Amino acid sequence: MSARDHAARVPLSFLLPGVQARVDAIDEAIDPTQREQLVAYGLAPGRPLVVLQQRPMTLVMIDEVELALEDSVARHVWVTRR
Amino acid sequence: MNASAIALVGNPNVGKSVLFHRLTGAYVNVSNYPGTTVEVARAAACFDATIDLVDTPGVLTLPARSDDERATMRALLHEPLRAVIQVGDAKNLRRTLTLTALLAELGVPTVLALNMHDEAGARGVTVDAEALSDALGIPVVPTVATGGEGVAQLTHRVADASTPQPLLRYDAAAETAIADLAQRIETQAPHPRLTARGMAILYLGQDSEVEAWLQQAAGEASAEFAATRGIAHAAGVTPAALAHERGEAAGTLAARVTARSAQSSPVLAHRIGQWVIHRVWAWPILLGVLFAVYEFVGVFGAGTLVGLMEETVFGGILNPAITGFVQQHISIGWLANLLVGEYGLWTMGMTYALALILPIVTTFFIAFGLLEDSGYFARLSVLANRLFKLIGLNGRAVLPMVLGLGCVTMATLTTRILHSPRERLITIFLMALAIPCSAQLGVVLGLLGGISFSALLIWVVSMFAVLMLAGFLAARLIPGRRIPLVTEMPPIRLPLLGNVAKKTVGRLKWYLIEVIPLFLLGTLIMFLLDQFGALPAIIRAGEPLVSGWLGLPKEASAAFVMGFLRRDFGATGLFALSHQLSPIQAVVGMVTITLFVPCIASVMMIIKEQGLKVAAAMLALIIPFAFLIGGVLNHLLRAVWA
Repeated sequence: MSARDHAARVPLSFLLPGVQARVDAIDEAIDPTQREQLVAYGLAPGRPLVVLQQRPMTLVMIDEVELALEDSVARHVWVTRR
Repeated sequence: MNASAIALVGNPNVGKSVLFHRLTGAYVNVSNYPGTTVEVARAAACFDATIDLVDTPGVLTLPARSDDERATMRALLHEPLRAVIQVGDAKNLRRTLTLTALLAELGVPTVLALNMHDEAGARGVTVDAEALSDALGIPVVPTVATGGEGVAQLTHRVADASTPQPLLRYDAAAETAIADLAQRIETQAPHPRLTARGMAILYLGQDSEVEAWLQQAAGEASAEFAATRGIAHAAGVTPAALAHERGEAAGTLAARVTARSAQSSPVLAHRIGQWVIHRVWAWPILLGVLFAVYEFVGVFGAGTLVGLMEETVFGGILNPAITGFVQQHISIGWLANLLVGEYGLWTMGMTYALALILPIVTTFFIAFGLLEDSGYFARLSVLANRLFKLIGLNGRAVLPMVLGLGCVTMATLTTRILHSPRERLITIFLMALAIPCSAQLGVVLGLLGGISFSALLIWVVSMFAVLMLAGFLAARLIPGRRIPLVTEMPPIRLPLLGNVAKKTVGRLKWYLIEVIPLFLLGTLIMFLLDQFGALPAIIRAGEPLVSGWLGLPKEASAAFVMGFLRRDFGATGLFALSHQLSPIQAVVGMVTITLFVPCIASVMMIIKEQGLKVAAAMLALIIPFAFLIGGVLNHLLRAVWA
């Protein structure tokens, strides 16, 4: 078993710009409609992303989509570093 | 309206409206900001005049959740659709195909326009359109709507539209629930065009429009549908689960037909996009943008152009000529007066509308269109988010608020891009209260700027303080939760001048059609009040409030009467008094009239969007509040500034 299988799940808002990660789960703390919205934007469990910046808002790139998330949302998106 | 229609559907900001324009020649408001098609637009197709082309607002998710999505769903349910042209973003195929998956399930004949494939190419993304067409069993046409590329081919292929092959089977539990519900729908409430399976999937996904349609079609039996759905939800067949499976299937197909070449460096547009919201560079860039807009609208539009129109064209040429002509040919005194007197329809109403307002709104709409098409506004919403958080909103509200600086009426309609009724209510209220439209801004800049910079600054600070205070209170008093901002950044693009020009002309047309009748009506009312000697009575009646509390000359009452028609009209009334106003009176007058009721057209729009009760409540709040703030400011300034 490699170390990768034990990688910690961390909030998206913790990652530094430039870090690549994979979405693990979207927390129930985010309201259901907004969760559906995130999935529609492409921020769905299993998908890879790159963090572009964290201030003034979290900005991630998923394929060709640039998505800006407020901290109160980004901290409830659980990701694993790649 | 034709008996048969073709709808353009797609995700937000993929170029539906540009394509609509290409396919019909009709004008729709198009911009590089998600959600600018706020209502369904329709026009005869230029390739077949017997077909109506219907442009729908962009959908992020179906089943529908937002007003825009519901409008699109209504079009699918109620329009006599022969086919759908799905417009997709070539560089975002996963999202595109998630929607295709649903169209396949609904059994809608579809053609896929794979738009913006030039942008995809610039990012190293290529889509194998032929392979995609084979996999879906429908025509797939790569297009660049802005340049017209592929549009001719698209019109040829519309006739070949067919129902896409299914993209997925759901998991066993979901399929059982879908089959069960579909069978009930088939027997009790079949849709004339859409399949029972598709309706069942949308109903399980809690689409409110499908729910309403089924309820009407099935009557009593719809209780049975609800019970079936309840059982399915309990078994884990939730809207989120269904959406997730569709997304996975779409992603799988997208990955198969998309090729990505590694890129050495990100494209320039992408880098600019990031500088614009960089934690440090964003602010100097914002200041630069504001300065450029001020130079163009405030200095060039409100200064140079207004001066040219008012003094040279109207004051020097048109007005003397027309006044001379009227006085020569019309001997009835009151009629001549009505046309060219102090409150004359031409000398006051038309001169004001065309010489003062037109140059300002024209330059404003050009600047707004350029910023809109460049993709800057979406990024501005990221920068403004923190500020808007204080007033219970999120950064998305920045677009209607900035548009409100052009025309509050138009901006009130644009609040439909906001996601919750609560956000819309707060935004509409704040715009009605404290956002001056460009016409009024022009008058304010003219009057206060002429006095001193500090007078102008006091006005700006007062407006901002009132906006924040009222928003802060509204956010706490209006029940409901604030929605955090999650938004996509559209690519930074060089605005197309043709598109900006088209949009500016469309907006100006709207503005003038709304504004000129009101100016004429306002002038007529003033004329009548003046003719029948009612003005002195009004001035006397308003004296305690206007002179006592606000400390203004008593003639200013007339300005407030005019303010009921349009705020800027009222402001102009004050402008006319300016030679007898002290700096404090000018500031207090302008602050009060800016806060005072918005124009009749925007009140009408508020009634249309929010209902009579809400509109009446807003006015009942705004009018006393305007005088309260004005009076407080008057006493404050007299104490510290005199």
